[in-house]
Amino acid sequence: MTATAAPRHLTRVDAINWNRLQDDKDLEVWNRLTANFWLPEKVPLSNDVSAWNTLTEQEQTLTIRVFTGLTLLDTIQGTIGAPALIEDAVTPHEEAVFTNISFMESVHARSYSSIFSTLCATRDVDDAYRWSEENPHLQNKAELILNRYRMDDPLMRKVASVFLESFLFYSGFYLPMYWASRGKLTNTADLIRLIIRDEAVHGYYIGYKFQQALAKESAERQQEIKDATFDLLLELYDNEVQYTESLYDDVGLTEEVKAFLHYNANKALMNLGYEPLFPGATEAVNPAILAALSPGAEENHDFFSGSGSSYVIGRSERTEDEDWAF
Amino acid sequence: MLDDTVETTENTSSLNTSSVELSRTTQTLDYHALNAMLNLYDNEGRLQLQADREASRQYFLQHVNQNTVFFHSLAEKLEYLVAENYYEKEVLDQYDFAFIKSLFERAYAVKFRFQSFLGAFKYYTSYTLKTFDGRRYLERFEDRVCMVALTLAQGDETVARQLMDEIIHGRFQPATPTFLNCGKKQRGELVSCFLLRIEDNMESIGRSINSALQLSKRGGGVAFLLSNIREAGAPIKHIENQSSGIIPIMKMLEDAFSYANQLGARQGAGAVYLNAHHPDILRFLDTKRENADEKIRIKTLSLGVVIPDITFELARRNEQMYLFSPYDVENVYGKPFGDISVTEKYDEMVDDARIRKTKINARELFQTLAEVQFESGYPYVMFEDTVNRANPIAGRINMSNLCSEILQVNTPSDYDADLGYERIGEDISCNLGSLNIARTMDSSDFGATVETAIRGLTAVSEMSDIRSVPSISEANKHSHAIGLGQMNLHGYLAREHIHYGSEEGLDFTNLYFYTVTYHALRASNQLAIERGVAFAGFADSDYASGVYFDKYTEQAWGPRTARVRELFDKAGIHVPTQDDWRALKASVMAHGLFNRNLQAVPPTGSISYINHSTSSIHPVVSKIEIRKEGKLGRVYYPAPYLNDDNQEYYQDAYEIGPEKIIDTYAEATQHVDQGLSLTLFFRDTATTRDINRAQIYAWRQGIKTLYYVRLRQAALEGTEVEGCVSCTL
Repeated sequence: MTATAAPRHLTRVDAINWNRLQDDKDLEVWNRLTANFWLPEKVPLSNDVSAWNTLTEQEQTLTIRVFTGLTLLDTIQGTIGAPALIEDAVTPHEEAVFTNISFMESVHARSYSSIFSTLCATRDVDDAYRWSEENPHLQNKAELILNRYRMDDPLMRKVASVFLESFLFYSGFYLPMYWASRGKLTNTADLIRLIIRDEAVHGYYIGYKFQQALAKESAERQQEIKDATFDLLLELYDNEVQYTESLYDDVGLTEEVKAFLHYNANKALMNLGYEPLFPGATEAVNPAILAALSPGAEENHDFFSGSGSSYVIGRSERTEDEDWAF
Repeated sequence: MLDDTVETTENTSSLNTSSVELSRTTQTLDYHALNAMLNLYDNEGRLQLQADREASRQYFLQHVNQNTVFFHSLAEKLEYLVAENYYEKEVLDQYDFAFIKSLFERAYAVKFRFQSFLGAFKYYTSYTLKTFDGRRYLERFEDRVCMVALTLAQGDETVARQLMDEIIHGRFQPATPTFLNCGKKQRGELVSCFLLRIEDNMESIGRSINSALQLSKRGGGVAFLLSNIREAGAPIKHIENQSSGIIPIMKMLEDAFSYANQLGARQGAGAVYLNAHHPDILRFLDTKRENADEKIRIKTLSLGVVIPDITFELARRNEQMYLFSPYDVENVYGKPFGDISVTEKYDEMVDDARIRKTKINARELFQTLAEVQFESGYPYVMFEDTVNRANPIAGRINMSNLCSEILQVNTPSDYDADLGYERIGEDISCNLGSLNIARTMDSSDFGATVETAIRGLTAVSEMSDIRSVPSISEANKHSHAIGLGQMNLHGYLAREHIHYGSEEGLDFTNLYFYTVTYHALRASNQLAIERGVAFAGFADSDYASGVYFDKYTEQAWGPRTARVRELFDKAGIHVPTQDDWRALKASVMAHGLFNRNLQAVPPTGSISYINHSTSSIHPVVSKIEIRKEGKLGRVYYPAPYLNDDNQEYYQDAYEIGPEKIIDTYAEATQHVDQGLSLTLFFRDTATTRDINRAQIYAWRQGIKTLYYVRLRQAALEGTEVEGCVSCTL
């Protein structure tokens, strides 16, 4: 498959003017992403140490492996995926949004290391990294995505990116949500929820840009992209099922995770503007996990329980004389 | 017959009747999943309240019943628990076994049922007595209630019966430390809350770290006053630029709190308060910034800022505000900075060349405050002059506590070089308990309910002796300060089809607190008569002079709306008249009050779930609240009395907005001698200016303290979870 219409890319550098928007969505998403800025240091992960020690050795190994897998994906997205999307940007504001996405992906990758250094012994982590290098399904997953990123097709790059953001992460996200619904590693879950909050916006935005670009293509090319998209999804899905089995079989959670995969595959397709592939997927997901996902900031907690995932960086505005008229 | 009632499977059979037909997939779900369905609408867009009821039923079936130790009789049970060091023998020895048995029978006859999954789950996870290996349950809710009543009644059968009745019927709910610990052999303290001064010397600082450890170990939260500490760069032994200010002290306190916890039950928690005119105020606030350096970042310590009226005045005039060196102030005035009224001495200190000072823009301080609140929810705010004007006790209030509802006077301690006490000052402890407003309105004897609660709380104060911190122990012995709180205001209003913050809602709040205040004072006066002693310092108080009573004797209080008159009439509650107040005034002036402080309205987290209340006198945060706690994970809690037909009365705090909340609190504040935890809720469209305006409004309305600032960010359109109750705005 070859790319068409290269001149849509930005060819020269103009000073970015946020007061002249080509697409309002860029500003809306920029505002959301910057308000959501966070660093892992804000979450008191050390409060999870005692809960970590209640996990069995097997559960600990699983958890470390899951997070190494996530680290790999975030690394790809931060260093290759999002930069590739910057090149494809059609407005300077879109470029700016992607620089933010790229940076936050690196923050995410950094976060897993914070979890490791707080909870685990270095040797266990090193073992897990070795495992991640040797796990064929994880490497295959990375290769499938990297392949698309290396292609010279902006549309397929976006497709791969949305699959990564909205689908592939979630076999990993499942586990911390599962622990948290059992009252374990709840601060880690807060941190993961911050990541999910970001990824939800990333997947949505890239999917939106994909749909904008796709609409300008010929019907023939649209069909071609759609076929390639579903081919990729099925290939990723088959691999993801095997990856899931390699991780979760030992603890008996594979079926639940698979149901969750269907749900997220549907979400990814919807972000791209396609119809869902797996019918009834929402109903099959464990409600405790589904309810835990909501990216809003409505959670209530007290000072004994950590920082939560609710706070945002606010908009400053000076008070005026009328405010002080008393 | 008691043998039957102690059997634990009974709870499920009655839950059966309330559960409805659920689909097959639902029945195979575990109780966590069922509970989580509360947060998702069903296919027809209705709330799935029945799923929560099924969750609590399954919780008993799948978990509680299988894991509860079975006893054949109460006698066998109590003997075993005492012999195995689970129960305190001394508590039971105060009573005849026949009475104890009759009390348990009376409790079981009530047929108590948890109204939500979270209530049951929270109770069994955090409160009930477990075997030492933590695997099996030894108590049901009724047992816990009886042990609390027997402990607090200290051998008085009548009081024990009254307390048991009030608690089991959900009218009175003691705070967590009391409810959790009473009657247990291995336990923490019964008091929940401590406030300590730190003076500007190394002995006091060292002692405060020790107190943080000791008090956290015994449960509850500790607040420290930092206003007296010299600022960064202040001289030490007259050598300039030596002091490193308050931040390193905050770091040490934070570490102390995270090290100590109450038998693993919960992590220690602490707060620090600082006067807005302390030179380190901006550094203090910056510790909560998102991008703060790790060396100065404060993660788990709560912050509070003490703001005097002068700061508002300077901001109004858009002037610079001066910050004063506590080191110099103490040298000039001979007393710590925290004991000076900045408003009163402001001009004098500005003109005094001996006091080093820096200046910042007052409005910018307020803006910085709001920025940090956006990012972290902190700091709390205490309006210093409002608090001291309303304080009927001689002395000065310069700080609040971890939940910003305790407001009491304190005095400094002096230490020897070996950290012994040269002079024991007065620090503050407060034990709390709350009335469920809806249930109290339903009480057959409103006055007796309040009186029993006051007696229960007083007992906690009498039974507490915090020897590790003598300044607390001493002050408690003399003051018997307690804090009677309230919860379920929104639940009650919604049940009666009144909107929160409406004219009728405000009217009710005023009249309810007015009536409670009368009975609380009456009960404390009764205690003083019975014991033949008033709290130390009574003679210097506005109660003794009678000034306190002016607002009640010289002005008639009553319902302003027909609806509220009807509610009180229907409940058969007598609204105290001016004559009632005159009689009470005479009796108080003659015999005194036993308790120096009586009321404080806490935020009521855990206990309001067990009690099935909305928390405090806040609006609900959501119809279905998502609750995260370290030990529970995410759990979902339906607002009390909520159904598909009355949803319009459950507008949440973000919809209601800060003004109506402040108005409601203002009605209550005028009757409460201490403070009330008031959280401000904003949507993410708010700016720092909106927060500042709400703070100005609160200050003008006579609010004493502000607790957290909470923000709710709506999910970006297109990223929400489908059918999620809490995502909709």
